[in-house]
Amino acid sequence: METPLKSMGQPTPQSFQPGPQPAPGSERPVECSQIAQFAKLDDLLALGRSYSLWPLTFGLACCAIEMMAAGMARWDLARFGAEVFRPSPRQADVMIVAGTVNKKMAPAVKLLYDQMLEPKWVIALGNCALSGGPFNFAGQYGIVEGVDKLFPVDVYVPGCPPRPEAIIEGILKLEEKITGKRHFPVAKLKE
Amino acid sequence: MIARKDSLSAAPDGQGPQETFVLNLGPQHPAAHGVLRVLTTMEGEWIQRAEPVIGYIHRMHEKMGENRTWAKFLPNTSRIDYLSAMHYTHAFVGVVERALKIEVPARAEYIRVITSELNRIASHMVWWGALLSDLGGLTPFLYAFDDREKILDLLEGLCGARLTYCYYRFGGLYNDADDDFLNGTRAFVKHMPPRLRMYRDLVSDNIILRKRLEEIGPISAEMCRRYGATGPVIRGAGVAYDVRRCEPYSVYPKFDFKIPTYPQADSMARYLVRMDEMEQSLRIIDQALDQITAGPFMAPKVPRVIKLPPGDYCYAVEAARGRFMVRIVSDGKEMPYRLKLRTPSFSNLSLFEEASRGMILPDALAMMGSLDLVIPDIDR
Amino acid sequence: MNATLERLTSQFVQLIGPAAVPANLPVRAAAGPHEPATAAAIPAPVPAAAPATVPTAAASAAVATGTPAAPKPAAPAVPPPPPPSPVQVVDHALKGYHFDATVSPDQVVSAASILDREGFALDAVTGVDWIAQSQMEVVYDYFHPVNGLRAVVRTRVNRAEPELATISNVFSGANWHEREAHDFFGLRFTGHPNLTPFLLPEDATFHPLRKDYQP
Ligand code: SF4
Repeated sequence: METPLKSMGQPTPQSFQPGPQPAPGSERPVECSQIAQFAKLDDLLALGRSYSLWPLTFGLACCAIEMMAAGMARWDLARFGAEVFRPSPRQADVMIVAGTVNKKMAPAVKLLYDQMLEPKWVIALGNCALSGGPFNFAGQYGIVEGVDKLFPVDVYVPGCPPRPEAIIEGILKLEEKITGKRHFPVAKLKE
Repeated sequence: MIARKDSLSAAPDGQGPQETFVLNLGPQHPAAHGVLRVLTTMEGEWIQRAEPVIGYIHRMHEKMGENRTWAKFLPNTSRIDYLSAMHYTHAFVGVVERALKIEVPARAEYIRVITSELNRIASHMVWWGALLSDLGGLTPFLYAFDDREKILDLLEGLCGARLTYCYYRFGGLYNDADDDFLNGTRAFVKHMPPRLRMYRDLVSDNIILRKRLEEIGPISAEMCRRYGATGPVIRGAGVAYDVRRCEPYSVYPKFDFKIPTYPQADSMARYLVRMDEMEQSLRIIDQALDQITAGPFMAPKVPRVIKLPPGDYCYAVEAARGRFMVRIVSDGKEMPYRLKLRTPSFSNLSLFEEASRGMILPDALAMMGSLDLVIPDIDR
Repeated sequence: MNATLERLTSQFVQLIGPAAVPANLPVRAAAGPHEPATAAAIPAPVPAAAPATVPTAAASAAVATGTPAAPKPAAPAVPPPPPPSPVQVVDHALKGYHFDATVSPDQVVSAASILDREGFALDAVTGVDWIAQSQMEVVYDYFHPVNGLRAVVRTRVNRAEPELATISNVFSGANWHEREAHDFFGLRFTGHPNLTPFLLPEDATFHPLRKDYQP
């Protein structure tokens, strides 16, 4: 992965913030795997899940275009097993919140999250989903300042919009989080 | 279908003999291109009333305009309609230049035209892929994004951003176009026509596409006028309304280009208008590349702190979806007193309720695809 | 001057002109907040003395543009009785529109009908909150799909009682534009079929673009 061109606030792979890690069992419903551990089987399941993430087709705003671009031929998210975008929350594992969530939309986004089946993950894509981004100003009346106010977020991808490399890196981070191990090399930036 | 339509209009308010039900489409629906919600009252497969409910991505641009200085609002303009960011920035810098009477150097104007037209092609490519994936064919989407990436590479080399460019400045540009960009654009102008021919052979002449679009969703010129619909929608109804011609701006009068119109006023007409527009954009770029000369890319005297003389000013551009106008009211301070964004998708969608009456749902979605909606452009 | 513009000018002068005739044209007291005493004395829906109309409209035009009306270029050859400022032909290169008319709030529908007959299309309906003058300006932008002319019609209503007639019977597209203006400014368009929150959440009661709005 190459260095982004003239930096216009584009994210570098290093700049990902780790998401707030909810303590096991505190925010998520207790999964079967938290009661009974089958070490090898769990690892296997996690490996399987991490390389067949099915994201929810769910575009909100500008960032969704870059999400689409990441799935297309040039960037080819399929290399990392996450290209099967499902329109139904019942079939999806990971929700990529791509864009601004405003107060009118927030209940619908929350509903979509609730409709997804466990195990499920969330990637907050773009500054809007992180914090309200450019629309977070004193006196704002319409937007939710970050989707982590609605539900727990696993990976934050900054950028306005994040480049497709950053989106792929976000997926890789999520895979790392699921399996506990990074299987793909980390991009090195030139000094 | 026609007979059906009459029987529907006989009972428009749910009092008819047939049982009706309400179908809620959206706000998260893959065919709605974002967070559009359509509340449809159905009579079997037939739409009795389809009322768009918007506001799910209202982002307070007009409020922000009143809270920011002129320069600080500039990045917002590329996020209203992110697919044709260049045009929107053009309108905003244009209105400030008009109020301050700044003369923009010729080179800057030419580069603006080139980048605007590249952006138009990129935007139409996304529309093309999205429409066809609505109609059930995902493959064209991959082709469309492939061509689009070539444009994005060029624009990224110019200003560093792939989508939200914010490339124009009051009185000029952020930086000059280098030879890489100009040569790359020349190569692109050569690369694109064979691709467009291929798309025509493979897709536009495809019988399935024609069956899905021809005579579907008629929108007459009169309906366009009553709703203020512009862009490919009104040109698909046979009216050659194009802001580049009707209210000439920048250096567009210097180019020889056609305004494609089709009188059929159906979804296919709107489809063909956009396909032809890409060819015309390539023609404009080609001429601009020939005419461009060396020179400064910024006007010499642009004040650092921008204060517009009091009054109201408008500036309209032809964005990829139609007429985009910025109307500002200045009270002489550093920030706009009022900033109104007149966006094309808003007016284009407002006729949906009337136009979709009596259609079957899949046809209505095909028509919606042919309107080329960008939802944040509607909600602002 | 362009023929359409000429026709427009004469029709608008016709429209605004009869207002000078006393007792012929009821004007809301709201239309004249330049005379605070009158506005306070008479409740809003009661017709006020009509002669004030044209000067008021002229004054509003001056306030609207923030400048004295004089520097506007290409002042048209309007017959002398009504002052030229309510109806103007403007240089497009300076302002971005060709025609500018200031009417009283009860004339917006007739104004829309004139423009409809001339083949114009509705561009936008905008509110501007002039809190210092306690007025609300409503601006109607029109464009002509065939010859590309741009016309602006503006009017002013009382800020406390922002009420005026809907033009959605003339231009169907005004339905949405007026709902949006209602959302942002609380302008009430009488006769509008469905004046419910549009861009704001369904239960919103605030009007965020009013200058005194506090979140
Ligand atoms: S982060 Fe930027 S690009 Fe992404 S949705 Fe928000 S404004 Fe658009």
